[in-house]
Amino acid sequence: MSTHDATANTARRPFSGRRVRLGDLLLQAVAGLAALGAVVLLGLVAYKLVEGSRLSVSTFGFGFLTRSVWDPVHNHFGAASFLFGTAVTSVGALLLATPLALGIALFLTELAPRWIRGPVTALVETLAAIPSVVIGLWGIIVLGPVLRDHVMPALHSALGFIPLFGRPTTGSSIFTAIIVLTIMILPIVSSVSRELFLGVPSELKEAALGLGTTRWEMVRGVVFPYARGGVAAAMILGLGRAVGEAIAVAQVIGAFDNGFGWNLFNPGDTLAAKIALDYQGATTNFEVSSLFYLALILLVFSLVVNILAQVIVRRVARRQGLAAR
Amino acid sequence: MPRNGKLVRITLALAAAALLGALAVTSAGAASKRSTGTLTGAGSTLIAPAVAVWQQLYKGATINYSAIGSGGGIAQISARNVDFGASDAPLTKSQGDGCHGCVQIPWALTATSPVVNIPGVGADQLRLTGTVLANIYLGNITKWNDPAIKSLNPKLKLPSLTITPVHRSDGSGDTYVFTNYLSKVNKAWKSKVGCATTVSWPVGIGGKGNPGVAAAVAADPGAIGYVSVAYVIQNHLRLARLKNASGQYELPTIKAIEAAAQLVKSTRIPANNKISITNPPKSKKYRNAYPLATFTYVLIPQTTPKAAELKAFATWALGSTAQSAIRKYVFAPMPTAVVKAAKKTLATLHT
Amino acid sequence: MSAADLSALRRPNDRLRRRRIVNRGMELLAWLAGAVAVAILAIVVWSVAKRGASELNFDLLTKAPVPFAIGNVKQGLANAFAGSLVIVGLATAMALPVGILVASYVNEFAPRPIRTGVGLTLDVLNGIPAIVVGIFVFGLLVVGHGQSGLAGSFSLAVLMLPLVARATIEVLALVPSSLREASLGLGVPRWRTTLGIVLPQAIGGILTGAVLAVARVAGETAPLLFTSSLVGNSISWSPSHALQSVPVAIFELSESPDPADHARAWAAALVLLVFILVASLSARWLATRNRRKLGRAVR
Repeated sequence: MSTHDATANTARRPFSGRRVRLGDLLLQAVAGLAALGAVVLLGLVAYKLVEGSRLSVSTFGFGFLTRSVWDPVHNHFGAASFLFGTAVTSVGALLLATPLALGIALFLTELAPRWIRGPVTALVETLAAIPSVVIGLWGIIVLGPVLRDHVMPALHSALGFIPLFGRPTTGSSIFTAIIVLTIMILPIVSSVSRELFLGVPSELKEAALGLGTTRWEMVRGVVFPYARGGVAAAMILGLGRAVGEAIAVAQVIGAFDNGFGWNLFNPGDTLAAKIALDYQGATTNFEVSSLFYLALILLVFSLVVNILAQVIVRRVARRQGLAAR
Repeated sequence: MPRNGKLVRITLALAAAALLGALAVTSAGAASKRSTGTLTGAGSTLIAPAVAVWQQLYKGATINYSAIGSGGGIAQISARNVDFGASDAPLTKSQGDGCHGCVQIPWALTATSPVVNIPGVGADQLRLTGTVLANIYLGNITKWNDPAIKSLNPKLKLPSLTITPVHRSDGSGDTYVFTNYLSKVNKAWKSKVGCATTVSWPVGIGGKGNPGVAAAVAADPGAIGYVSVAYVIQNHLRLARLKNASGQYELPTIKAIEAAAQLVKSTRIPANNKISITNPPKSKKYRNAYPLATFTYVLIPQTTPKAAELKAFATWALGSTAQSAIRKYVFAPMPTAVVKAAKKTLATLHT
Repeated sequence: MSAADLSALRRPNDRLRRRRIVNRGMELLAWLAGAVAVAILAIVVWSVAKRGASELNFDLLTKAPVPFAIGNVKQGLANAFAGSLVIVGLATAMALPVGILVASYVNEFAPRPIRTGVGLTLDVLNGIPAIVVGIFVFGLLVVGHGQSGLAGSFSLAVLMLPLVARATIEVLALVPSSLREASLGLGVPRWRTTLGIVLPQAIGGILTGAVLAVARVAGETAPLLFTSSLVGNSISWSPSHALQSVPVAIFELSESPDPADHARAWAAALVLLVFILVASLSARWLATRNRRKLGRAVR
């Protein structure tokens, strides 16, 4: 019997035969108020963003999402180039980080000798603890010049026929931002994947190995299908993290707001970075309201990502719980 | 168990103490917010080196200054988050309305200037015209060995390097001066982009503040940017010579800036002190004038509780000690007519 | 069977050999992935350590910055360190009690639907990007009142709340209900049980959660850009106006063209990183010790 339910039962019947103590009521009220406060806080966030963006939303409507312009002189604003930049950088980072993260998770759960697993796990989680401003600092001073002087020209000469790898110009580019974001979302994708791989019942794994599969075939045939949903959740969480990252991206992406191009080596801009860089100098009400609109888009996106990941995680947990019994 | 009880009691006591301490500090801080002796300002990065010098020299009050760009200065003083704002760009009509009775007072004179980072080209060597600059920033000229640039610089060995135009990503008075000049010399620029503290740049990367642009230009071979002269000196950037209306390729020296400032006549200073001295016309007087010279303003609400302190500080800043102290950052002495107009506006401040 | 036939059976055929090669290749790739992860961390930490250590001195922590200094003036980032202490301290003072209360309510008093609802709220709050929290607090507290360290603390507290609450919920659930039942059976009132018996048992886990939350927000830049970034250079401890903070200082210095500014940024980044790593490691140590203690209590 779940012990938690026993206490919960008592809570639901506070008048069950005993004298109501003032202290009990007080604690319950204060704690309940705190819990209510948390919910109110969430609503307040949504409300403030809607209120702040009202001017921009009523003027530009959904056209805001399709126009690529940021002109405070004539008060024309549109988020399209930021949406594009956010999409390119986040998807790019996800494409690079996912195989790497899965590899790390596999390494930590299947291949590494036992004495290595603890330290390396701790190291990967330490990567998550590095503040984004420090990674951005490293990106500006160390990574940017290396990419500009060595990596980008090499990629351009080797793969220049693909429009993605056009002419490199500067160290502050979409490509630099993608690398930085990859580093930042690697820990979260790999640690969630690692937990999932650990949850695969060992009987299934042993059964496959017993049938004569190689380790890789076992992973491909048992672990991956079993963890498939959870890995999707991990990727979604990583995507959410990448989309919301403002500071490190602002430091390395070059703040170029005008339009779309497929050349990854060009500068660009994202929703989050634009808000971070533009806020202090925004003079007109329209501009401030448009920044709120950008934040609203970010909020909606992060909510969707979060809820999606939660749903998948809960479904996976239920399935794992069933399998365990 | 008793040990844990003590632990929780200690934790609760600490939390209570922390909260009390926080309240105490907050109330003390609230009391000191209106303290005399501190002036807080924000805005232009162009004037930041001068304010930094003045911070160390001025004895009448403690000056706190955040260099966030002229656009930020206008925004912050309009919201009355600071005691004074600083902007190289004069207020537009809507900005003036939004500021609810602010006056702008010119308190320094300097210039913004094109800087380049081209391998093989030294400081003060490259020659540019306004039209070429406009075309670079419009994206029409993309390589340094473009014939348009080569024809101006027959003696220079220009590489076949892509040009990276760097602009200001924040609301900037330097942008205002730069685009003001480009609008005057290039019709295409005027119609396509226009003149303001923030414009829609067709190409290039953005840097935050004068330091950001300086950093971007210094880091990227092939980059060109516009930076106020103090930062050029401080970061050893390589200047390009700009052709003025009289056909001379000028550098932003004190003399050249002073020559441009002669555009101001005592009768032509409007009541709101809005002065533009970019692109002085062709004439003997402006033969050596620098085309990108500009005054820079301090923005003060006409009615302010700190009127006395602000008046004292601004008057001191207009004085000879303060102005000669910032000479080394290429702030030229202001024409007497402008100083007179500035002091006249200062006198209208009241609490 | 002849000897030839037996050895033919023992010899691996082509298909098996190919499978083994693929397997070996994949194992190598996984090892490579692990190495890459360690390498990235090593490169970043090494950059910070090497470049930061050279500029690390007492002046960094004790002297205020002097931009465009005349001559060789000793300067540092004392205003940023002071400001960060105040801001993070106040944020913890705000978030910790509220987080504990929320967790207590969820674990001790709430019926199931409210429990899931509040849990979901906390998870959603956790997923809101820091920059959105920043602009939210800007709209809530800064518009019309100006920036302040207090607004900055509030924005950090909003980020800390889900972390503290979640950690506390988890550790409260680990406290065996036998303790609660025993206490209630002895006639101890509910509130006394919670505050005097349950919470003390969980204090280790709560502190762990708090330390981890502090480590998380100590390096947060985005919310402070909106709430506490218009700062002067003097050292101030008063949260009623904007205070400089270490992450914002690093952000501003990183965009400067001056190599001396970069050097100070690396040094500040080193101090920040060391603080965060020490905090994370001690939280981890606390967590292991706590798990062991609770494990013992169950028996």
